[in-house]
Amino acid sequence: MTELERALASLEIEWPETPAFELRAPAPARRRRLLAVAVAIVVAVGSALGVPQSRGAILRFLHLGGVTVERVQTLPPARERALRASLGSPTTRAEARRLLGREFAAAGVPLYRAGRVVSALLSGNVLLSELATGNDPAILKKFVAGATAVEEIELAPGTPALWMHGGRHVFVAPQLPARYAGNTLVWQRGRITYRLEGRTLTREAAVRLARTLR
Amino acid sequence: MDEGELVSQAQRGDGAAFAALVRPHEETAFRLAYVITRSAADAEDATQDALVKAWRALGRFRRGSPFRPWLLRIVANEARNRRRASGRRARLVLRASREPMPGDEPVDRRALLDALNALPEEAQAVLACRYLLGLSEHETAVALGLRHGTVKSRTSRALDRLRELYD
Repeated sequence: MTELERALASLEIEWPETPAFELRAPAPARRRRLLAVAVAIVVAVGSALGVPQSRGAILRFLHLGGVTVERVQTLPPARERALRASLGSPTTRAEARRLLGREFAAAGVPLYRAGRVVSALLSGNVLLSELATGNDPAILKKFVAGATAVEEIELAPGTPALWMHGGRHVFVAPQLPARYAGNTLVWQRGRITYRLEGRTLTREAAVRLARTLR
Repeated sequence: MDEGELVSQAQRGDGAAFAALVRPHEETAFRLAYVITRSAADAEDATQDALVKAWRALGRFRRGSPFRPWLLRIVANEARNRRRASGRRARLVLRASREPMPGDEPVDRRALLDALNALPEEAQAVLACRYLLGLSEHETAVALGLRHGTVKSRTSRALDRLRELYD
């Protein structure tokens, strides 16, 4: 082996994290064209977040932090709701700190909580939500493609994100009614899963904003 | 339990034996799929589907043959199909997992990675298989759907080109 080959073999590459694959006998369903996407922030598997009407027809999952994206054949029932009507109950910075284990990323804005999800409405009618996920059990992960675009992007090396736009999707959060959601960026940093949503939010603006949040 | 025994048990429908067979190769399989698809999501999907196919096809696996190349062939086929279906033309951009540390070998890792990233797709793929994933020439041939001799010649040319870019 030459010096160059040895140098190549010694490179430590930043590979995507290897998922936990299912090694059991497969379900018979095969992929079809995406008809709809349901997006859920999941506090724990088996919580009261289920979307019963869609469970039997889930085709694919995608999982990032506390967020799962499910490919389903038919959207679960949902309503159009203003973002400010989807925040939950007012909460304090101290309570948010207790839930998240750190300060909420945006300062100077009223905070709300729904279950363990802490949210605030930022300027430009953009909703920021944070959820401490930590050691929650992983959910079966699957890829989503089709009418609702779900792009995997990287906010920074080692910080994967999902950018969802195009066709409408349904957002389900604990203690909140299911609703149709606008363009959404989801990412995970440490134990916190972040979610930015805005009907007119562009990918560039979302990424720029996400990079300023600490 | 050795590989042959695990294969026998898995062929009789033992899912735990199949899992034990596959687990040591999961990471390599997923990374190979990533090299081919250039997308972590596609790689995950391709690997998962390939594992399902491997389970179903296990009855046709010839006992006594090495398991890894057989598995990698299925993964690579699935990854190529997925890449074709997606029409994605993204380049594979590899990054170092850490910054150089004092005491590291005197290799300019960043320059080497830049050179690797600048290689044509076919050259990059063959070097990634051989040196980053540690696949043998046979496994690389299987994974990339090439003849053994083509892997040798393509590797040699890719190294020459890499050397030019790196120096």
